[in-house]
Amino acid sequence: MSYVRTAPEAILPAPVVARPSLAASLFGDAASSLATVFITLVALAALPHLFAWAVTNGVWVGDGEACRDAGACWAFLRAKTPFILFGIYPEDERWRPMVAVGIFVVLTIWSLPRKHWTRATLFGWIAGIVAALLLMGGKTIGLTEVPTSAWGGLPITILLTVLSLALGFPAAVLLALGRRSPHPALRWLSTGFIELVRGLPLLSMLFVASIMVPLLLPDGVTIDNLFRALVALTFSAAAYLAEVVRGGLQGVPRGQEEAARALGLSWAQAMRLVVLPQAIRNVIPPLTNTVVVIVKNTSLVLVVGLFDLLSAGRVALSDPDWPAPYAETYLMIALIYFTICYAFARYALHLERTLGQVRR
Amino acid sequence: MSAITLSGVHKWYGDYHALRNVDLDIAPGERIVICGPSGSGKSTLIRCINGLESHDQGRIAIGDEEVREDARALQRVRIRVGMVFQSFNLFPHLTIVENCMLAPVRVGEASPAEARERAHALLDRVRIGDQKDKYPGQLSGGQQQRAAIARALCMRPEIMLFDEPTSALDAEMVKEVLDIMTALASDGMTMLCVTHEMGFAREVADRVVFMDAGQIVEIGEPTAFFSAPKHDRARAFLGQLIH
Ligand SMILES: Nc1ncnc2c1ncn2[C@@H]1O[C@H](COP(=O)(O)OP(=O)(O)O)[C@@H](O)[C@H]1O
Ligand SMILES: [Mg+2]
Repeated sequence: MSYVRTAPEAILPAPVVARPSLAASLFGDAASSLATVFITLVALAALPHLFAWAVTNGVWVGDGEACRDAGACWAFLRAKTPFILFGIYPEDERWRPMVAVGIFVVLTIWSLPRKHWTRATLFGWIAGIVAALLLMGGKTIGLTEVPTSAWGGLPITILLTVLSLALGFPAAVLLALGRRSPHPALRWLSTGFIELVRGLPLLSMLFVASIMVPLLLPDGVTIDNLFRALVALTFSAAAYLAEVVRGGLQGVPRGQEEAARALGLSWAQAMRLVVLPQAIRNVIPPLTNTVVVIVKNTSLVLVVGLFDLLSAGRVALSDPDWPAPYAETYLMIALIYFTICYAFARYALHLERTLGQVRR
Repeated sequence: MSAITLSGVHKWYGDYHALRNVDLDIAPGERIVICGPSGSGKSTLIRCINGLESHDQGRIAIGDEEVREDARALQRVRIRVGMVFQSFNLFPHLTIVENCMLAPVRVGEASPAEARERAHALLDRVRIGDQKDKYPGQLSGGQQQRAAIARALCMRPEIMLFDEPTSALDAEMVKEVLDIMTALASDGMTMLCVTHEMGFAREVADRVVFMDAGQIVEIGEPTAFFSAPKHDRARAFLGQLIH
């Protein structure tokens, strides 16, 4: 029977659909042409003002006086950037927060390639975080003590982000697994925690953590304000991430866990080696979204008197020697947040493309 | 000693009585084919044997190892019993060879090098050695099922369970999987196989078990069973298969 196929037909990728050219996209039909013209006109009307404010009338050098009745006061940023970045941390000791930020930057860059995702890197992070905390505090390692109430700016933002994610993500995975557990007690606890924390505004949790908790503690016991804010942020991160992870778990067919168990893997191994890797790959986009929200949420700690980037910026603006250039200051802070979030989003997109190949 | 013993096994899903007083004794090296209408409890039976489902009454044992709800005991059972599923259930985030190495390294305490060597040998044996570095999604159904068989064999099981291994395959790929299973049978593997491939049953099975409504209705040698089923329901079922 020579007409019977003996080898299976090759599996071909779907045909590539060509993207329309730029010209076609801009002026392809009446609606696109109209949109193109409209947006160009708006830009032409707005740009000269922006340019005059930022460049022509902008003040690059000088003091508060030079900025009065001028355009953008970039000179203010020149003078205040160290304060915005490091808050009220003693000026002579600023090398310490700088080194702390440096540690995080180096660790982050080191951790980017997938081949560096090893146990050693994990320990590197733990060591790095501990080193940064010791360096900032100073007392334990024989430097001048700087209490956490004097920490500020970028290091606070980075510490809160890194710690709330590093502690919140494993907690989220446990909560997501707990919510699907056959044990009723585990399921109720996880569901209760997630729903409670998601239902409360983060601001109110921060207030509870910073104002209520000290009132409830016995006399003489104090818990650091930074730590309390961190707990609130971690709870919030854990609850939101847990729901994303749960969504991912639902997308993994039951047969995957069964096949793993049938091979003799324990439940924990089946989760860690088979189910979770697939679940998490499937939800990289919503995970990225949640992480970016969490990064920006750290700025809410300003309501409980912590000096993160945003609060440091606000304090800088209150200097009576300067005409309070809000737009410039917030632009700079926004740029820092944007850089962090955008870089993260690009990296996540890269991960999605390289590891997201869970083809069935 | 029997390879597999089931005596007086009952299983309920809520109120639904899925297995009713099942008795079955399988000798080492024996090849059993289980058939029966859809919903008759074939998968439930086979999944109780390696503890993917727990039975509510009666006794199941693999050799002298009781199948019971104890993590250590279940793991010992599962190391001795390999399973192949209708839907392959390969791990899509791992390559074929990684699929095969996972359990030997994590459960069987083989070194990675040893596990890789074993995986290569078995993948060659199921004739997909050249596909070993691909991901499951890049393989045809027949190739995936053969990889799944190799993955189970990498744990060096004494017993292999198959739950309709060819039902999800296009006709042209059924044979390549059945050929592997036939080869495995002639090597002396103890096999318990749910399938409606009657040609395979005739050629390979020592006994055919016919199930209906959670019960074993008839057990017989394939020739006797196919030519003269004793039971009405078996006769009706075989009649349906032929038409
Ligand atoms: N997890 C479950 N929960 C409830 N009922 C189930 C479950 N699994 C199987 N059943 C029921 O048990 C019966 C036997 O199922 P199964 O063993 O899968 O049959 P077969 O493999 O012979 O087609 C069916 O009626 C099915 O609906
Ligand atoms: Mg079935």
